[in-house]
Amino acid sequence: MIEVSGLSKRYGDFTAVRDLSFTVGPGEVLGLVGPNGAGKTTSLRCLAGIIPATTGTCLIAGHDIAADPVAAKRALAFFPDEPRLFDYLTVRQHLAFVARIYGVQDHEALAEPLLVELEIADKADQLPGELSRGMKQKLAIACGLLHAPQVMFFDEPLTGLDPLGIRRMKDSILQRAHAGATIVLSSHLLHLLEEVCSHVLILKQGEKIAGGTLADVSARFSNGEANVSLEEIFLRATGGSGT
Amino acid sequence: MIGALFYLRLTSLKNLVLSRVRRLRQPKYLVGALVGAAYFYFVVFQRAVHAGRLPAAGARHPAVVPADLLPTLVTLGALVLLVIAALGWILPDGRAGLTFTEAEIAFLFPAPVRRRTLVYYKLVNSQFAILFTSALITLFTGSWSFLGGHALCHFLGWWLILATLNLHFMGASFVVTRLMDNGITPWRRRLIILGLIVLAAGIMLAWLGRDLRAPAAPGTDLATFQSTSGYLRALAGRVNAVLASGPLPWLLLPAKLVLGPFFAQDAPAFFSALGPALLVFAAHLLWVVRFEVSFEDASIAKSEKRAARVAAVREGNWRAARGAMKARPGPFRLASTGRPELAFLWKNLLSTFPVFRPRSLAIGAVLIIAGYRWVARDPDYRDVLPVFTVAAFIAAGYTLFLGPQLARQDLRSDLGNSDILKTYPLHGWQVVLGEMLTPIAILSGVLWLALLTLLLAFHPQSLTWLTPPVRFTLAAGLVPVLPLVCALQLLVPNAAALLFPAWVQTMRNRSERGIEVVGQRIIFLAGQLLVVALALLPAALGAGLLVFATQWLIGPVAAIAFAAVAVLVILAAEVGCGLWWLGRRFEAFDLSAELRP
Repeated sequence: MIEVSGLSKRYGDFTAVRDLSFTVGPGEVLGLVGPNGAGKTTSLRCLAGIIPATTGTCLIAGHDIAADPVAAKRALAFFPDEPRLFDYLTVRQHLAFVARIYGVQDHEALAEPLLVELEIADKADQLPGELSRGMKQKLAIACGLLHAPQVMFFDEPLTGLDPLGIRRMKDSILQRAHAGATIVLSSHLLHLLEEVCSHVLILKQGEKIAGGTLADVSARFSNGEANVSLEEIFLRATGGSGT
Repeated sequence: MIGALFYLRLTSLKNLVLSRVRRLRQPKYLVGALVGAAYFYFVVFQRAVHAGRLPAAGARHPAVVPADLLPTLVTLGALVLLVIAALGWILPDGRAGLTFTEAEIAFLFPAPVRRRTLVYYKLVNSQFAILFTSALITLFTGSWSFLGGHALCHFLGWWLILATLNLHFMGASFVVTRLMDNGITPWRRRLIILGLIVLAAGIMLAWLGRDLRAPAAPGTDLATFQSTSGYLRALAGRVNAVLASGPLPWLLLPAKLVLGPFFAQDAPAFFSALGPALLVFAAHLLWVVRFEVSFEDASIAKSEKRAARVAAVREGNWRAARGAMKARPGPFRLASTGRPELAFLWKNLLSTFPVFRPRSLAIGAVLIIAGYRWVARDPDYRDVLPVFTVAAFIAAGYTLFLGPQLARQDLRSDLGNSDILKTYPLHGWQVVLGEMLTPIAILSGVLWLALLTLLLAFHPQSLTWLTPPVRFTLAAGLVPVLPLVCALQLLVPNAAALLFPAWVQTMRNRSERGIEVVGQRIIFLAGQLLVVALALLPAALGAGLLVFATQWLIGPVAAIAFAAVAVLVILAAEVGCGLWWLGRRFEAFDLSAELRP
């Protein structure tokens, strides 16, 4: 699970994230939403230990990401918006590399079903340059899932995917959550988040505007109306700022 | 419409210059510009002026090449031009594609612009690059002063040659495309052209016949300059006579006309040669702009390839920049468990040439030993051994000083992936060490081979203390020390990548040009040499003192072994401290923040 307390990130005089606190439990999917420049990616990068927070603490599966980063990172996987792959490693070689980094024993036995599940088994000996955008995304996911992480961070996971890819990505996220993983994802596609997330956290200018279960946040901003969409909630919460 | 295209080009140029000037407000560019300007002034311009390469305005160089040899040079030059032009007909294997940027394609191809206008635009565009290339060739080749004539004549002459060749290649590619449209495959076309060339050469040979005999050898008189010069003159005269007879002069005439301004000895000669040369240029221009052929598809494909190559270079991915990459087997078997740093070695070895593999080191060692034994066995060849020694010293020197700049399969290449690297459950020092292992392995391998060569071949008679046991001990001591020296060297550019990522990003990017980037590179190289010299000082002093103090007691062999251990400990401590510090820096590193303007 993820426990964040008083997280802030400053760049000189500019505060990208201010005093953020929240908790995400196993099996929960938290959607991080906010207008451009709200601090979503910075928050995710702090939580994943990519950049150090200026103040505050973040526990990943019980390990402080600042004090014990190696143990915390062993439990997490981060999926950036753009799949970051090594151009000169094939699909299979990517998995061999990641297995060694995480010390995944007998990784071939784990990798094969993963490649089949993600429908890239037939591309196992191809380089990223030979793969489509969706295939690359799948390879990045396979690399992230190989060590069976308890916590997953997705930054704009649906960017660049076709409708079928979006559907499969949503299914995959829900499947991992049902298996007990703790998931945080950021996206501008609010109607899609609505289908996947159990919780939502709305950020604006680095600050938390609202947070909680979808029902809680809806109740707070629906003004008594029924069936208010997340998009409408978002617009009301952020004062009409576009995503 | 051509006015709009000129506007685009000139405005782009103006904005480029302005942005270059504006970025001088950033210290990294200002300091780089100052150092770069100083380098160009003191090393290029002033040396050129001192060497008489850049004459005062209006003056012209006295020719070193005798005047009667110039016609031969012109003829030979024309022959070379003819061969280059022929390659333009033989080599192309695809349709004609003019090189446009992706933005040019996006804006110009759908615009209401005639195809001919696009060709004009492309031609005008290419003149900027040709003028720049001509200026560089003139500057860096001593203005061709040995030919005589004015530097400006050589500069304009080069422009005419390159611009005409450019037009010729373009025209040839158009014709090749037309031939392909008419069902003539590239190989069929090549066979036809090669057949025509062979036929033409045969006719020439038959025509010239007996004139091809060389003048009688001057025998022993060749030892003197006078007779050598006379021989060359006679040979040149004969070559000239041969090339001037039969139909060959007519074939060479257009190329000779193009070369005329370049070889002109004074202003009147230049202007009288300029007219005919421009006539050839104009004929080519007419040919290119009048030839109607579709080049759009090939141009788009070419621009996409070019954009991918530029993107790969910007990311420091030289393998991808060279062309299509192919999947390769791993350099060694990577087990699922074990030191994670070795995974980086495995990964980065895959990113470089396949020759950098453990087996290559073994093959190199076997070849050196076999070569040495073969040479040493035969007294006639033993004199070659000093050549081995010199080659080994040169290889070791280059590897030590320039190796870290060339072997960049480390953090410098992977900086763009730092977000992913930082999610790995590793300490910062492990990532830094892992990333540095590949260049350390490559450079150490080369140094070990050089060391092996020196161990076998370096037997200076004057150094009586360098007995075989001492040599062997020195070599054995250096084997573990050299990787540490390489590691120390590589810590500096990797530290620079983390401390000054914006500088390193700028220098990695080949599309970033300018005097300030040259200056930045000079600063980094000088900084690296200085830091490494300082870092090696304690080890060198310690080793020297130990050998001096102990050799009287325990003998030179034991003293060297003792000193090697001390050097090993000092360097290992320095490298360890460097890795720890860089690891901490990597953990706190945020590329996106570092690259903020």
